[in-house]
Amino acid sequence: MTSSLVRQALILAALALLPGVGEAIYFRHKISWQSPIPPSELVTVAQAHVWGENVIWVDARPDEEFARDHVPGALSLNEDRWNELLPQFLAVWSPGRKIVVYCSSLSCNASREIAVRLRKEAQLPDVFVLEGGWEAWLKSK
Amino acid sequence: MKTHILAFTLSIIVCFGARAELKWDKTEVELHPTPADKQAVGHFTYQNAGKEPVHFKSVHASCGCTTAQTQKDQVPPGEKGEITATFTIGDRTGTQVKTVTVETDDPANPKTVLTLRTIIPQQLEITPTFVFWKQGEKPDAKTITVKVGKEFTVNHIKVTSSSPDFQTKVEEAGKGEFKIDVQPKETNNLVASTLTIQPEDSQKVFYATARITNAPTVQ
Repeated sequence: MTSSLVRQALILAALALLPGVGEAIYFRHKISWQSPIPPSELVTVAQAHVWGENVIWVDARPDEEFARDHVPGALSLNEDRWNELLPQFLAVWSPGRKIVVYCSSLSCNASREIAVRLRKEAQLPDVFVLEGGWEAWLKSK
Repeated sequence: MKTHILAFTLSIIVCFGARAELKWDKTEVELHPTPADKQAVGHFTYQNAGKEPVHFKSVHASCGCTTAQTQKDQVPPGEKGEITATFTIGDRTGTQVKTVTVETDDPANPKTVLTLRTIIPQQLEITPTFVFWKQGEKPDAKTITVKVGKEFTVNHIKVTSSSPDFQTKVEEAGKGEFKIDVQPKETNNLVASTLTIQPEDSQKVFYATARITNAPTVQ
């Protein structure tokens, strides 16, 4: 009786495993598109405020949203016009300054993408993503 | 006992089959635009396999760079249709994954996430795109590496500095790689230059920036 139950359980487990194995093989070259941002690369509004004038705020949202409103003194830098906007940002940057990038909210990905490009392509240090984005900034006011 | 297992398994399969009414041919589309393309368009086709009409409640893209359109608000039983997702490439590079979330009144399948994977061909990969010298620093040359994308052939590149304060020299490093040495004439003045990098026989232009910065901010 016991061995029969064990056998049934094993058969059911094997059946349940099949789709999982199939999916793993099918998606083996497709990595997750949005892995979590390491905590060391995130900054809260309160932490960024502590850095004061040493921060360059970067708005990664589309142009229309930046035009509507943005963090005072923030520079617009988005991937729609990266080649045009990056030199304007670099003209303001100086060694030792911290860069805080934000987009609309916790769920948006633009700030993360801009931060990655600033680190990898421009090879700038001290690039952070604002936790909660523009929504968090508004709440903190 | 084997019959029981078979019946149980089949009942699960039948239940899952009966639940989904709006059936999607694919929920993930991969696009390969050419370097000249400004947009990439994905078509997600579906069919209402159920017996009741399905209504779209909302269609929402994951970023402002992607728009999604339905052909109709209501899908009668048996009818086919598609959602068109348009991704604006802009100055994006590499593999871009954007999603479109579709909400319907189908109780069995109220939310579907459609994935648009766009592989943007990159003719040149430039690292770093920014070189700088601190004011008063020794004006040594700094090197920018240019790698040619796998699908492209570039034998020569032309580099132009927007400012005479910086000189550039291009060296072919072999294996589809170039080195650009950038050197300021002096580092006493806060000057900057946009370096224009253009592959031969190509209209596409790439950019890098060279700059003399002021002293680090002490915090």
